[in-house]
Amino acid sequence: MQALLEIKNLKTRFHTDEGVVKAVNGVSYALQPGEILGVVGESGCGKSVHALSVMRLIPTPPGEIAEGEIIFEGRDLLTLSKDGMRQIRGRDIAMVFQDPMTSLNPVYTVGFQIIEALTLHLGLDHNQARKRAAELLSMVGIPQAEKRLDDYPHQFSGGMRQRAMIAMALSCAPKLLIADEPTTALDVTIQAQIVDLVKSLQKEFGMAVMWITHDLGVVAELAQMINVMYAGYIVERGNVREIYYQTRHPYTIGLLGSLPRLDEAPGARLYSIPGLPPDLITLPDGCPFAARCPYKVEQCTTDMPPLQPADSPNHLVACWRWKDILEERAQ
Amino acid sequence: MSHNDRVLVEVRNLKKYFPIQRGIILQRQVGSVKAVDDVSFNIIKGETLGLVGETGCGKTTVGRTILRLYEPTSGSIIFDGVDLASLEDKELRRMRRRMQMIFQDPYASLNPRMTVGSIIASPLEVHHFASGKKKRERVQELLQMVGLNPEFVNRYPHEFSGGQRQRIGIARALALNPDLIICDEPISSLDVSIQAQIVNLLEELQEQLGLTYLFIAHDLSMVRHISDRMAVMYLGKIVELADRDEIYLQPLHPYTQALMSAVPLPDPDASKRRERIILEGDIPSPANPPPGCNFHTRCRYAEEICISEDPEFREIKAGHFVACHFAERFQIQ
Amino acid sequence: MSVYEEVTVVDFAVREHRSLWVDAWRRLISNRTARIGMAIVALFVFSTVFAHFFWKYDPKTDLDYALKLKPPTLIPNEEVPSVHLFGTDKLGRDIFRRVVHGGWNSLRVGLVAVSISLSIGGILGLLAGFYENIRETVPERMALRALVGMALGALNAWIASQWYQALLFAGIGILSVFIREHDKRRRRIMFIMLGILCGAVPGFIAHPMVALVCGTLGALYGLFFSFDIGGKFFSDTVMRFMDIVLAFPSYLLAIAIVAFLGPGLEKGMIAIGVVGIPIYARLARSSVLSVMQKEYILAAQAVGESHGRILFRHIVPNILSPIIVQTTMGLASAILSAAALGFLGLGAIPPEPEWGAMLGDSYRFLASGAWWAVLFPGLAIMLSVLGFNLLGDGLRDALDPKLQI
Repeated sequence: MQALLEIKNLKTRFHTDEGVVKAVNGVSYALQPGEILGVVGESGCGKSVHALSVMRLIPTPPGEIAEGEIIFEGRDLLTLSKDGMRQIRGRDIAMVFQDPMTSLNPVYTVGFQIIEALTLHLGLDHNQARKRAAELLSMVGIPQAEKRLDDYPHQFSGGMRQRAMIAMALSCAPKLLIADEPTTALDVTIQAQIVDLVKSLQKEFGMAVMWITHDLGVVAELAQMINVMYAGYIVERGNVREIYYQTRHPYTIGLLGSLPRLDEAPGARLYSIPGLPPDLITLPDGCPFAARCPYKVEQCTTDMPPLQPADSPNHLVACWRWKDILEERAQ
Repeated sequence: MSHNDRVLVEVRNLKKYFPIQRGIILQRQVGSVKAVDDVSFNIIKGETLGLVGETGCGKTTVGRTILRLYEPTSGSIIFDGVDLASLEDKELRRMRRRMQMIFQDPYASLNPRMTVGSIIASPLEVHHFASGKKKRERVQELLQMVGLNPEFVNRYPHEFSGGQRQRIGIARALALNPDLIICDEPISSLDVSIQAQIVNLLEELQEQLGLTYLFIAHDLSMVRHISDRMAVMYLGKIVELADRDEIYLQPLHPYTQALMSAVPLPDPDASKRRERIILEGDIPSPANPPPGCNFHTRCRYAEEICISEDPEFREIKAGHFVACHFAERFQIQ
Repeated sequence: MSVYEEVTVVDFAVREHRSLWVDAWRRLISNRTARIGMAIVALFVFSTVFAHFFWKYDPKTDLDYALKLKPPTLIPNEEVPSVHLFGTDKLGRDIFRRVVHGGWNSLRVGLVAVSISLSIGGILGLLAGFYENIRETVPERMALRALVGMALGALNAWIASQWYQALLFAGIGILSVFIREHDKRRRRIMFIMLGILCGAVPGFIAHPMVALVCGTLGALYGLFFSFDIGGKFFSDTVMRFMDIVLAFPSYLLAIAIVAFLGPGLEKGMIAIGVVGIPIYARLARSSVLSVMQKEYILAAQAVGESHGRILFRHIVPNILSPIIVQTTMGLASAILSAAALGFLGLGAIPPEPEWGAMLGDSYRFLASGAWWAVLFPGLAIMLSVLGFNLLGDGLRDALDPKLQI
């Protein structure tokens, strides 16, 4: 099966007064059609930047995609013209952003904004587009969709705005939906609604979804594959069960340990990863996690470990010592 | 909630309404936002009381009103036998020594024009707690207590990361040896791995110094982790209050049940197993809350009585308070 | 996983140590427009200060009809025996000399006018913004009501020529803080009676008619004090008053003030300063309001810091940036306004050198080809205004909080 999206050795940089920010440092992976991929990491790990690179939405300057290939359905997006990219954006790849308060334009009605996307990409006439827009809104669970088309964004609640954004993203039946922290600004009960919505829409449309989040809880129930990112690298990649139950990278181990569990015993302490993520301008040689890693050895500070198969061919980990750690933890 | 001397703070029928005003020259009140609407609870010495709820439920307002940063509309806040709600400015200022606050946004809660040293020394100066060499020593001691290098006194907040700034905020709150610290979403703007550091620090400090916390957050699992007892708020009211395990094992209010089931679990199997209750619709506006039980618009068990009558916040069993007409029924199930 | 407990949190890497002001200065000098602005401003300030102190000039005796309206002369010749870099004007005065000395007046006008608007407007705006959201303390309310009472009572005192009436009403103001009558009607009646008492009784000593007028006024004042006069009231009143001032076209207002005070450079300074007050008041108020939203203000309140301390330690340092930018820009507009007044003959009194007045004196000779008499004062105005504006722009970029990482 041909991958829908294949990223090869992607490197994205930002040139600032203080120096070159190495935001993405050689990310490679493939996304199959219809797959839900969770991209997990803390702020500054490059998860959003790598998605924006796929969309070619990196502001240049100061940003720059320094190296790599992004192959979408056999075409390298990085070599496409601006017009060619514009056609892919919105039609083949759609994106939903974090802040539903600012991603809709407050001076136009919600309906106008969806209809505009429909007429632009699908060439529908106004009446057809309006009908389709109402269908989309009711599909994402907005009651009285026909009426609410004429509402302005401020008349929608945060959750409804995010639904409207999803409706707009889905308007052209994209093959890939990139959701960049779409529920971070929302409350848990609303987040649950959105997660459910995306799950059912994915079943219905069969598109691939890239769900970017800092929350290991959300992707646990949503994603099939998970990339864990740290300092611009993928440090661990595998399917959901491998990531949560056969965790291999010390960063993922620490991250999971630092989450409180609803079902934990009283009096338990959280495991906290000491220190801070490294500065992306002065990235150390070797493994970026070494400074915070309790298992580090000499080699970790000098050479960056490659992302290589751990126990199964599809479970990849970038750590020199994952086997030792496994043994140590078993004791 | 029988009164005994272990109670540090007793909040009784606390209300805080914010007026909605129209007009520029002749302002008139056209309504009010019922941010906190008749809330009663106790905080026991040495415990951590968790307060969870979604955006706009009034949890932050409760915290700020307890410290009299907002003037309560009515009700009383009895702190160690003194009713804060009726105190004059001067006496209130004296009481402030004993209660402090940690804020949500570590970027906005530290004055960017002041050095870390003067930020932490500020409470010491205001209350004439220490001066000169003693003050400097106290500041260094506080920095050490929160895990920062004491040599950082002359640096400015923008030189620190979010987690480090939150530590500075904690040091400021500890400066006067308070009894009560209100933690208002202290970790929600931090990264996951830093959250755990801060929570562990708060727990360690509580053990060392015998602090009492009111821990306000929207993250149910984190609140459950740190609290001894927890209260769930919805639209200005506390709907359920119980021991941390009790509320997890037997949530009696339909809102608590829904909230609990919506919390994402970092465990794929467990999240597949559990039953998800998806709440329909959005939270109603606190300026115009629904009549009767204010949750009835989203409640799947709602009946006639829920629309007509506001359920009483009552003790169903020892230490477990619920505001739902059918709490007894849920308990039997 | 227990390994994580053993690694304790110790030192973190911290960014390079530097204060925000140092940061801003570095950004300022690395900005080219700001550097150009600074160079122009420095040239302007240096030349005019130097001239004022070391290059004596007496405008009253400077007169030479023989050299009337001579074009710029670099090499002395028979007709023009001395060097005149910028030429001479209708009285044969050296324009270069007058331009350089005129700068002193422009600088003075700029500084004095901006100080007037900044100090009055800044303080009013600061207090208005502060009390917009924070409830005043009892002593503050007392001070406010005493001041208001005294101001209102001043009218009575003037009518009855009894200075102590002002004090009586100040007293009512203070009293109103302590009388805790919550029933609205009873409170109102009580204060109206008090007001009549304080106005009419002393007034009666002077004349029965005075008693009537002062009594009526007193009743009104009493009614006024029965309302909740606090910080919010102060803030609203100040800002509405500023809106009224802003509703007048600024030059017209300045001309009206000069017409009232009489011509002269000093009067012009006052007029320009007064017209500028609302700009600073609004700027200060809006900056204060945005700072007040920050949690560190709440933190200061939670610690129990006094209002004065919150104002001067937390608010003032954080609103300085926009004020500094506005002050720089304000210098430019004050210089321009002074020139406008001078041009209209309302500023400096001749023969005092002043750029606007020089323009006003000379534009009639433009038709006869004396371009230099107009060009050089005009250039001086343009350059100095440009310099301050460029500097202000640069400062805005350098001090912009969005750039503070």
